[in-house]
Amino acid sequence: MANINLKIKTVVTGLLLALTLLLLTGCTGIFYIPGASYGYYIWEKDGSIFVEWSVDRKDTKFDGKVTTDGEISSYKLKEWEEDSDTIKVEENEIKFSSILDGEDYSDGFSFTPDDYTYLEFDLKINDGYDLSRINVGGFLESPGDSVFRVEKDYFDKVRMKHWYQKRPFPEFFYKLFANKYFTFLYLFILGVIVIEILRITVIARKKKKILWITFSYVILAVVEVCIYFILKFLVS
Amino acid sequence: MVKIKLFLNNLCRTIASKEIFDNKGYLRRLYKYFLVGLLVRLIFIPFFFQRDLLSTYQRAAETVFTGDFSSNFEQMLTHIIHSAYLLILKFIFPAINEISSVLLEENTWVSWINFNSSYNVFTLLTLFKILYLLFDIACMFIILQLSFDGEPENRLRVFKFWIFNPVVIFVLYIFARHDIIGIFATLLALLLAKKERKYWAIIVLALGIALRFFPIMILPLLIFYLARTKRDYVTLSIIGVSGLAAMELFSYFYFGRSLIFTLLNAQHFSYILSPRLELIIHDRIFIFVAAYVVIILSYFHAKKENFDLLLNYGAIIYLAYVSLCYFHPQYMLWIVPFLVIIFVRRRSLLYYHWIQFALLMIILIYWGDLVTKYVFAPIDHRYFIFLTGIIPIIERFYDSAAFVNIFRSIFTGVSLWMIYLIYKDNKELMGSKLNNNRL
Repeated sequence: MANINLKIKTVVTGLLLALTLLLLTGCTGIFYIPGASYGYYIWEKDGSIFVEWSVDRKDTKFDGKVTTDGEISSYKLKEWEEDSDTIKVEENEIKFSSILDGEDYSDGFSFTPDDYTYLEFDLKINDGYDLSRINVGGFLESPGDSVFRVEKDYFDKVRMKHWYQKRPFPEFFYKLFANKYFTFLYLFILGVIVIEILRITVIARKKKKILWITFSYVILAVVEVCIYFILKFLVS
Repeated sequence: MVKIKLFLNNLCRTIASKEIFDNKGYLRRLYKYFLVGLLVRLIFIPFFFQRDLLSTYQRAAETVFTGDFSSNFEQMLTHIIHSAYLLILKFIFPAINEISSVLLEENTWVSWINFNSSYNVFTLLTLFKILYLLFDIACMFIILQLSFDGEPENRLRVFKFWIFNPVVIFVLYIFARHDIIGIFATLLALLLAKKERKYWAIIVLALGIALRFFPIMILPLLIFYLARTKRDYVTLSIIGVSGLAAMELFSYFYFGRSLIFTLLNAQHFSYILSPRLELIIHDRIFIFVAAYVVIILSYFHAKKENFDLLLNYGAIIYLAYVSLCYFHPQYMLWIVPFLVIIFVRRRSLLYYHWIQFALLMIILIYWGDLVTKYVFAPIDHRYFIFLTGIIPIIERFYDSAAFVNIFRSIFTGVSLWMIYLIYKDNKELMGSKLNNNRL
């Protein structure tokens, strides 16, 4: 029995460790799985801009350019195939073209721009624009225009977003708040059921039952009011 | 006032069974299980669904909003129930009209997106799924009465096993499929059979067959259980298929096409014939059909007066189906009503059932995004559309079909082992029956 418990603990610890590592990976850039995830992933780290792309093992062409009003002082390639991928780096512009397939899971490059105020991206997938597949600074932080600019402090702003400002939470909280009559009725019913469970278990053993039940309903009302204000804050 | 109280008391006594209702301790436990089960169900109700739920209500909307009755020809009775329910919702909540354009949208992708992005998607899902909750509640109280007469402790266990069953919660409140309606009719038929109402039992089962086709698998069992004379066999068999025959006649005259041949030619029927043994030239053996005949003959030669034996055979048939045939996740629900009763006698089956459920969660992957990440789409559809799917992740490292099929095979192994355990339980049941007869 002790052996089984030890095994369970080991597995749980392992899973938690893996999850932590996964979350840590997400903190340094945008988490994506080469060969499974599909799209462009762009982030900034230590003054360098990383532009990488991946597809779910289908023949796909990624091409485009990045321009800046500053100067590109250095660049690095990631998993670049000389025969199928091309890149041309100039003083303030990078043009690239790359083909991913069943063997080539992802490619990318990073560069360090100096003295710049903006970066302009023109990124295509299979010669077309698919803006929802472009993640700038975070998952689904997608641009609104085909050719888009990001200011110098853009990545810091995205990084400073709280958890509740990142997808899927804003949409979830919006739906809960927008449909508040349902939400509060729903929470009230859940609350009543919880109080009923408490009434026949914990409260049944207490002396002043009515007092405890009244107190429970007061707590439920307070919780509902608090949730209202929390949702209002989260949505705003 | 006293009369109403007396009526309610009698009603509750009938629903909860006399031995539980008359004992405060048991009644409190029943109420506690019910509340906790209800809480779990309600937590899931507003947030998840599988695309088929929307399709079901889209077809109902065609009938309710445009008067087109032919939108669900294959499952007419289920369609009528959903249409009637939607009509009731429309009267109680006129706001449902706001969503009519989404429900009537012909482009399935557009309607799915619009439904998920609507601000009141949680309300709609709750309203849509409450129908299943009602049938679920009805089922849990019928199951309570099905076995263990005079054994309130065991009846409570059965109730607990149903109410906290992961397959029930998953299929009805996360996946949101309507199989519970057919199961309700089947359970009602079994309860009537237990109470020796043989004609009513078969009539209700015939209705169940018209609702979902699945109960036809236990029709021979029920006929063998109920028939006492040769005439009974003939009469009950005719009544048993009368539901389907009535539907056939109706569809023939109303729609001008055959329902039975449509069903036989449907992809779903080929699932039954999917496991096969190729012999030579055109000769092949359909494995499930052969296994089914063996099960039916085995029951025919067993001591048929034992109602628990009938339930055991019901479990064996549906377990054999999911073991051997291609199946959709919701079909797993058909095993549960039978298993929850057997769990009380054979606890090990409960653990195997949980293993089945865990394996089902992996087998689900096979159906792709629609039954995996899209189930969460009401929360934020855009997020779950663009989130990397589980199949591409598996494909990155290993062949996804092979991966899923390894677990599928384990699932079959576990299910066949469960059949063996039930077979052993059958022997004990028949032994106890023989002993009782001798005494």
